[in-house]
Amino acid sequence: MTKRPPAEQLDLAISTLLARPQQRPASRRNPNVAKLLTLVGPLRELPHPEFKVRLKTDLQRRIAMNQASSSARTAKPLKFRRENFPNIAPYFLVNNAPKFINFLVGAFSGAERVRVPRADGSIMHAEVAIGNSVIELGDANEQYPQRIMTTHLYVTDADATYATALAAGATPVYAPTDDHPSGDHWGEAKDPFGNTWYIATRRSRVAGPEGFLTVQPYLHLRDAHNMIPFIEAAFGAHTTGLHKSPDGKVLHATIEIAGATIEIDEARGEVQPTQSYLHIYVPDTDVVYAQAIASGAKGDKPPYTAPYGDRAATITDPCGNTWFLATYLGPEPNSPRSR
Amino acid sequence: MVAARRQARKPSQATDERLLVEAARADLSKFEALYELHFARLYLFIVGRGHDRAAAEDLTSEVFHRALANLSTYEWRGTSFAAWLYRIASNAIADQYKRANRERSGNADTLGSPTRANISSNEMESVDREAFLFRLVEKLPEIQRRVVCERFLEERSIKEIAQRLSKTEGAVKQLQFRALQTLREKMEERHD
Repeated sequence: MTKRPPAEQLDLAISTLLARPQQRPASRRNPNVAKLLTLVGPLRELPHPEFKVRLKTDLQRRIAMNQASSSARTAKPLKFRRENFPNIAPYFLVNNAPKFINFLVGAFSGAERVRVPRADGSIMHAEVAIGNSVIELGDANEQYPQRIMTTHLYVTDADATYATALAAGATPVYAPTDDHPSGDHWGEAKDPFGNTWYIATRRSRVAGPEGFLTVQPYLHLRDAHNMIPFIEAAFGAHTTGLHKSPDGKVLHATIEIAGATIEIDEARGEVQPTQSYLHIYVPDTDVVYAQAIASGAKGDKPPYTAPYGDRAATITDPCGNTWFLATYLGPEPNSPRSR
Repeated sequence: MVAARRQARKPSQATDERLLVEAARADLSKFEALYELHFARLYLFIVGRGHDRAAAEDLTSEVFHRALANLSTYEWRGTSFAAWLYRIASNAIADQYKRANRERSGNADTLGSPTRANISSNEMESVDREAFLFRLVEKLPEIQRRVVCERFLEERSIKEIAQRLSKTEGAVKQLQFRALQTLREKMEERHD
């Protein structure tokens, strides 16, 4: 019987190993071939070279964007957001803004700090501080109708906040529980306008020196996977947590945008897609507007300098959410904030 | 013995790594060198915790993004950069476990427990050895590298590879043999 050449012997053994990884190689084998076979197991774990290149490109893109925005900040030493303002605030447009303000004050110990009325008595713009965050709101109109939104509220005592929310007119969905799979002490209620509030006390993670923001927008989306590349490209955001189903749907993702966080997931079952209004402060509205349009957003209002001193613009993202972009241009003497 | 010998990193290695970290902190565009050095290690650490290829890619990506975002918070204090990355990875895996639990709370029992956070010296040695092997694969002549990737990563048959590379099956087997022999020799040199 002719002895097989080493390359043939090796391939035969490799084929057997690939087909049945648990099977031990045959004992009567060329010692050199046996040594080479020890590499088969580790080589099956090889990462895709394309993945390594793709991730490297992603990181380089993010580094370039960080450096660009850092240069922009150097060139423009003014703060790009207003004092006591988070980078992102949910903007509620509701039918009966005064009632909504009362709810926020009663339910979440909100502090009304700005109210700008229209001539007809409706509210053009208002701000209610909650914890270390802000909720903005106004009366809905034809251009910006009322939308049902979801907000994640992080508080020090979810049970107490849940109770005050119900006392202020919220409808219970479920009381805060330690059994929530997130690991947080978490409950859910709906306000009288139909908005959903996740009321939670953090248990699963420890805050950094900057603490956690009290208010975190939560977007239930259709085709949420399309939102991630959009937000990253438009706002220079990055996704810090992404959990997908086997068919590629986003079960949950946490996205950081310049120190603020939003959460998104794929709407399913009883949770229908929402389209939210969001107010975001960015280092340069003109640049972000252009990036957003290039990434698939619809431009609703191109950049303009608003009378209250912000460089502002409005876009609608591919999932239908409206983003009010703003860059604070600095204090204007004798010009109180008004919108 | 080998594990014990390699448990403590050589001073020059640690110094080089420290310099790379300092360079990247001063200029983020230098982060690429850290990425190249630690990509395979991190990927293997995650795969070693039972994640399939798709999940391992998602987590590897997440960890490098987190590391980049938090590079300014990394302090040397005798902890290697790799150990810092493993800690971020352990947190990311724990977060993913919680998210999965949240989404499938009805079947929480079927998900098993969160991954262990620590890495033993034996595991670190194993991760380092395989990461070294992966870097050797990248340095193989292109045609050998392709054969290795198609055979072990894609798990293609010799016949398929031969068709894709327009070579005879015998030639592909020879390329496979030479590639593995080169890898084996270089791995042995590493321990000399």
